[in-house]
Amino acid sequence: MDTIHLKKNIEADLTISQWFRNVYEAVKTTMIGMGITFKYVWGRDVVTIEYPEVREELPANSRSRLYNDAENCIACLQCAVSCPVDCIYIAAIKRPTDAPKMKTKDGTPIRLDLKQYTIDTALCCYCGLCTTVCPTECLTHTTDYEFASYTLASMKYDYLAPDIRAWRTRIVKS
Amino acid sequence: MSAHSNEQEDKIILGDQEVLKSDLLTLNMGPQHPATHGVLRVEIKTDSEIVVDAIPHLGYLHRCFEKHAENLDYRGIIPFVDRMDYLGAMSMELGYALTIEKMLGTEVPKRAEYIRVLVAELQRIASHLVFFGTYGIDLGAFTVFLYCFEDREEILRLFEELSGARMLYNYIWIGGVWNDITDDQLNRIKKFCDRFEGELKKYHSLVGENKIFIGRTANVGVISEQMAYDYGATGPVLRGSGVKWDLRKNRTYGIYDKFDFDVPVGTGEKGVVGDCWDRYHVRVLEMFESLKIVRQALDGIEEGPVMGKVPKIIKVPAGEIYMRTECPRGELGYHLISDGGKTPYRLKVKSSCFTHVSMLPAIAPGLMIADLVASIGSIDIVLGEVDR
Repeated sequence: MDTIHLKKNIEADLTISQWFRNVYEAVKTTMIGMGITFKYVWGRDVVTIEYPEVREELPANSRSRLYNDAENCIACLQCAVSCPVDCIYIAAIKRPTDAPKMKTKDGTPIRLDLKQYTIDTALCCYCGLCTTVCPTECLTHTTDYEFASYTLASMKYDYLAPDIRAWRTRIVKS
Repeated sequence: MSAHSNEQEDKIILGDQEVLKSDLLTLNMGPQHPATHGVLRVEIKTDSEIVVDAIPHLGYLHRCFEKHAENLDYRGIIPFVDRMDYLGAMSMELGYALTIEKMLGTEVPKRAEYIRVLVAELQRIASHLVFFGTYGIDLGAFTVFLYCFEDREEILRLFEELSGARMLYNYIWIGGVWNDITDDQLNRIKKFCDRFEGELKKYHSLVGENKIFIGRTANVGVISEQMAYDYGATGPVLRGSGVKWDLRKNRTYGIYDKFDFDVPVGTGEKGVVGDCWDRYHVRVLEMFESLKIVRQALDGIEEGPVMGKVPKIIKVPAGEIYMRTECPRGELGYHLISDGGKTPYRLKVKSSCFTHVSMLPAIAPGLMIADLVASIGSIDIVLGEVDR
């Protein structure tokens, strides 16, 4: 046979005067609360935005969709190494010695030919560690935040593909 | 059946009198229940409306943080640390950064120290505002939720401009902070402090002083001082039970010794010491104290760099450390064992929420189901930190 002992909530005995005091206090404190909320009746500044019609502009250093400007990439692999979830895939081969010399925007010589630069955005955790280590600042976070898609495969961004290179004019700052 | 006849012989004694016993009903609260603040499943055994037993089931948000950390370099762990307590990510990062810096012996620039205090205390306010708002919803007061989230959004917007993300910042780095704070942002924090202090008083009189709210929380879910010690409760839960213990004051870390602030404790103003109302009130008073610290930090902030000298590849010398900090939800401890390599050998996290969840079976018996909701809300757990 089991016996279950339960604590009882501490409750003072309710007298009639206490009952009336409770009712009075409940009405009084509720009225104070109503007073606070009452001035919202006449309206105030709207704090929400009607999203699809009005789009919020994120702060300039907001960390959203990644963009790699492949022309300036020297394939140093620092982003891939620093990535905590390993979602950056890079393949590069050595440039032939007789090929014309190439330089990035800030003057760093390009010694490797980039063959693949893919970021699996579905894995990305948007921590921003890859962009801070980038020596030529070609990998950047953009403020573009609307990139939901229907298939998982389309979340893999190949930054050498022409359709994704075309974002450059649309989403990259400066 | 024999089991059935056994149950009929059971007795339930509530207080000192025997109550009529019916069959116990097993009820699953969660894992998708809005009152459990995340994916917590509480298996409740009830006798009509009275809870006889409550068993929390964890693990729905387990992400193997500790095992992951063994394979990541020290900088790469910070984004994972964020995701533990996603409502107080800055405080999580602060604790982690202090742990590694203590092992490395890194000197953090003064300006970075001040920025860390600023963001950590603003984060405490933002985290307590979520508690304030959702606790109102738990108890049927919806209005205050919207007010709180409006103010919280202002803090989050500031963090977004500072770090680039709204909730998972990766802002406090080993050796300093990522970006410098501008004068414009400091002015905005100052304005926010002035405005928010009055607003908070308003919110408190809207919710905390309300008779119905007091009726729902006073004398409910009492955690006595002894029980808080027994279970190892920390943070607002411990202080709500009347124990004056704050790591920022008692085991100072960073530059918290420079600031002048009080440690609010529960006094049993509306009921007995350690009830839900006390824990609620401690959090409200803590927000005022945090505002005090933010104001002092704004006055004391110095010019200078925000990143100290840290090697490009961090190799923590072999050894062991346990570092604890005061987070919005309580004490957060990092136990780091390093073998001198690029990754930690072991990184164990002591989470306060886990401790507080384990108190549920002790609080619950004898409560009504609605009071159990109030109790779960008042210990303010974040399941990301419980399961890790």
